[in-house]
Amino acid sequence: MKQAIQTLYPGLISLVLLLTLAQSSGLSSPDASAAPPKPTDPATLRQLQGRYYSLSRQLAQLMPGQPYILVDTARNHLYIRHRDRVMLDALASTGSGTILDKPGEAQSQWVFDTPRGEFFVQSKLTNPVWVKPDWAFIAEGLAVPKNQAERMEPGVLGEYALGFGKGYFIHGTLYTRLLGKNVTHGCIRLNDEDLKSVYRLAKVGTPIMIF
Amino acid sequence: MTFIPSLFSLILTLIPMTSTVDPSSRPFVDVTDAAALQEATRVLAEEVKVAARPQTYVLIDLPANTILLKGRGIELHRIPIKHWSTSDQHELVMTFRLKERPPVARRKIDPSISPEQEPISLADMPTAYSLQFTPALTITLDSYGQASLWGMAAHFVRQWWRLVIKWWRAIWTEANSAVAPELDLTVSVDDAQSLAWMLTDGMPVLIRRPIH
Repeated sequence: MKQAIQTLYPGLISLVLLLTLAQSSGLSSPDASAAPPKPTDPATLRQLQGRYYSLSRQLAQLMPGQPYILVDTARNHLYIRHRDRVMLDALASTGSGTILDKPGEAQSQWVFDTPRGEFFVQSKLTNPVWVKPDWAFIAEGLAVPKNQAERMEPGVLGEYALGFGKGYFIHGTLYTRLLGKNVTHGCIRLNDEDLKSVYRLAKVGTPIMIF
Repeated sequence: MTFIPSLFSLILTLIPMTSTVDPSSRPFVDVTDAAALQEATRVLAEEVKVAARPQTYVLIDLPANTILLKGRGIELHRIPIKHWSTSDQHELVMTFRLKERPPVARRKIDPSISPEQEPISLADMPTAYSLQFTPALTITLDSYGQASLWGMAAHFVRQWWRLVIKWWRAIWTEANSAVAPELDLTVSVDDAQSLAWMLTDGMPVLIRRPIH
């Protein structure tokens, strides 16, 4: 009996594996009932073609006609694209994904992610001054100042900054050696030259796609 | 334990059979094929609605074996699918919204030690996970690397285990009871991590189904 089981076992495993592979490979024929009905009438086909081309045009009209900014936060690259053309490919630094507890607020944290989705350039600033938020002091173990003037830090954001909402900016950095890494608190950092190009090419209203 | 060598030899023998996807394949719609056109038009109609809003979305193009991240109709990122299977493809006809992105183990900043913490990276992202959607849909993402024999073996064991669970459910569930559709996707390890990174809560997902 034991010998029979030992003989059958590899065969059983093989059968299960074959079935698994057949299912996982997507080669199994699709359910015929799942397919939409197949109209053969030429008039129906023309109607379908017309709707298909019309929808394709509608989708094309949604695509930005102007240059847009694309940010890959996993690989830390910022691109400016216009239709299929890449106008700029810049090494960037994006959000670190780390968290920081908010003092005195149980279960509440800051999450230092670069937001993902579609945004727009909302503001263009020259010689921006960083107004340090509470987390910048708390992360360094410092007391949060009561005087607003103590939060001002000029010269650390580079010559330009482009705001895209909720306090997030594309700006410069003193730490160019960290470009290409996820080190920021959510903003997107560039070197001076690339920042200048982005400032020049982007307008208020330019779409920013971040993933 | 005599079955282990035969199990591994079988896996190795079957590997070439499973490489069914041409990674260079592109979406193609035959405009003279009414059924294919009908499906492409259905997806386009959904996409026009989704792309009209300022958001990124995912289009899973099963005939082209591709997962596309898109925004406003523009392709932002492309992931090739190695294999896929589905329990019920006629259910995959609407815009699904991701309930929650895969969990990420985030590192906490401790100001008493140092404000500098190791950031999260793609390597921290999961390589196998399950995604739940509204309306009900489960997408199971699995991955394996061609270079890792152990990774491939683990992938096949997971596939096998899922199949056993499905059989079990099929045996014990009444035929008429409503079961949420399922879509199983296998991609490379890097692509599984990349997808986990780019997904966001509430992200819309569209699926183009094969017709023939």
